[in-house]
Amino acid sequence: MAEVTEGAETVEALERRIGQLRVAVREAVLAGDKARAKTLRAELKRAEQAWEDVLAEAEDAGITQSAQSPHSRQSAGNAGRTATPEQTGPLLPLREQVHEALSLLQVPAAPKLIATVHEAFFATTFPTTRVTSLRRDEERSFRAAPFARPYYICAALAADFLSPSRGLLAVSTWPMERRVIGSLSPRVDFLQAAIRIAEAIERIPAPVPAARRLLWRFAASIPGAAADASHIQPEAVRQAAEAELSVHKDADTRTRREAAARARHQLADTEQLFGTRSFRPAADQEA
Amino acid sequence: MDPTEARLQKLRGRAMPRNHNARTISALATNPGCGRRALMDAAGADKQKLAAYTGYPAPFGQSQFAIVRGNAFEAQVKENGAAQLLSLLREQLRLDITEAHYSDLGDVGGNETSEVRHARTKRLLTTVDEKQGTMFDHPLLRLRVGGRHAYLEPDLIAFQLHGKCHVVEIKSFAVIDGQADPAKVAAAAIQSAVYVLALRDLLGEHKVHDETILVCPENFSSKPVATPVDVRRQLTVVKRQLSRIARIEDLLGCCPDDLTFDLEADENGIPRRPAREVEAAIRQVPANYAPECLSTCELCYLCRDEAHGTTAALGKPVREELGGIEYVRTVLDLARGAAPPPETEEVAAQLIRAAGIRAALL
Ligand code: SF4
Repeated sequence: MAEVTEGAETVEALERRIGQLRVAVREAVLAGDKARAKTLRAELKRAEQAWEDVLAEAEDAGITQSAQSPHSRQSAGNAGRTATPEQTGPLLPLREQVHEALSLLQVPAAPKLIATVHEAFFATTFPTTRVTSLRRDEERSFRAAPFARPYYICAALAADFLSPSRGLLAVSTWPMERRVIGSLSPRVDFLQAAIRIAEAIERIPAPVPAARRLLWRFAASIPGAAADASHIQPEAVRQAAEAELSVHKDADTRTRREAAARARHQLADTEQLFGTRSFRPAADQEA
Repeated sequence: MDPTEARLQKLRGRAMPRNHNARTISALATNPGCGRRALMDAAGADKQKLAAYTGYPAPFGQSQFAIVRGNAFEAQVKENGAAQLLSLLREQLRLDITEAHYSDLGDVGGNETSEVRHARTKRLLTTVDEKQGTMFDHPLLRLRVGGRHAYLEPDLIAFQLHGKCHVVEIKSFAVIDGQADPAKVAAAAIQSAVYVLALRDLLGEHKVHDETILVCPENFSSKPVATPVDVRRQLTVVKRQLSRIARIEDLLGCCPDDLTFDLEADENGIPRRPAREVEAAIRQVPANYAPECLSTCELCYLCRDEAHGTTAALGKPVREELGGIEYVRTVLDLARGAAPPPETEEVAAQLIRAAGIRAALL
């Protein structure tokens, strides 16, 4: 991953420079110095172009790098299935990486968690900003040719409005009940994710530190899961998560079932996957 | 649109309105006698930009770095269903294990006007019970300032079963060994008090706790820690100060109809109106400069310049010591023995005595 990191550093320097240039442009504009503003604007454009270039380069370098390195695809596919060097193909497209991470978690997740999970279990990560734009691309692709692909990375839906829930991604092949989010669902999904991560770690013979760190981040917010980062047992985390889960599960399932039925009944195909923006729950209409 | 709203929009010009927040309201409350700030804030004018354009750039402002760090910390404690926050709240408020709801009130099915968001906050918070909510993210509250509604977004509202709502404020300054920068804590407490007031407006006095919860990173790490903050004193102060802010309608009544702070830009991004004209427009609205403005208001350099030579510019205590005489020049004249108008005879005599003592000492 050396090239990528190197690229990222240059990107950071460029980002600082772009920030500084923006301030300088603003100051020149406010000071009424047209000539200076013009020069600075041109410079800003060049810096932004350079930023795009470096990013594109880093992306290419990342692809070549991981294609060569046996380590980079270790434990790919299903966590726990240790990959042999022959199995390591070229880096998967972003949507497939996101799919891998979501399939491990089995619950809707935010881009940041998706990227962290992929880094911990599939040894590669990606900028979360790219994940955010992925959902738009997937929607465009679905609208152009519905159900042409075996799966789409789609939205989780807010249970009351059936609108795309902010920042959560899901997989189109999951049942609707899993993709709608009621008020208890964030907690339920957090606990489910903790269980899945604990199980995945138990399957790997030698989990990488990133995976254990991820497990600790979950354990720290579950009562009775672990005392501290150095004494963390996947089995104990799983049990603690199951225990809290049993408290919320029924109430959450009821809400989700009701919302899923409504979604199936009221929404067209595209809206079922990517949410609607046109609904108001009855109670809000008079408000 | 009601006539007041139309006039405020004219004042603001074509710029996007800057919304009030607890920071601007607590700043306003430190100088309730200033019509200029009250009016510009009500109109949503960009004071920072106006100050810079007229040649008086503000001496402060949050650095881009601090904003990014603050946002990152807030995102961290709220990620994964606000898992970190829930742990802290479970500890602080002794929440029952069943109380683990998280509702995003910013999600309103695509319609994101302030009115709709506020209506949703109101509906959910007024009908809340243990089955519906624990943590409410992105709530939108409303507070009357100068007779107009200002919309406010606290970091989070936590609802405690059989209990009251708590305002949760997330700040990125560190708590080290249980201690944080007192000035920052004080500022956060005032801001939280503004939110408590707005929340009480919505739910009633008894439904909202006067203890708010401040969440900060602990000891140079990014691990969050929660501290309860009693804001009873701040509530009294903010309430009193807000009641002293003039009604926006009355302030508008004292301004010419065509007054505007418009900074519309030409194709090069440079405002069309000359800076002098914009400054003259700002000066048409009466201000009330005091040294405290230097740390709270973006227009402070402009107003200080304008107040140059007045006793008020030296601070309220000085002005009062000098018997409320408006100009420094008058004070000096009196001390040198100029004939005083009848109402300042007493002060004049004291000034002459003081001048005598000073002369004897030098
Ligand atoms: S700096 Fe000027 S506008 Fe701002 S509060 Fe003080 S007097 Fe009012």
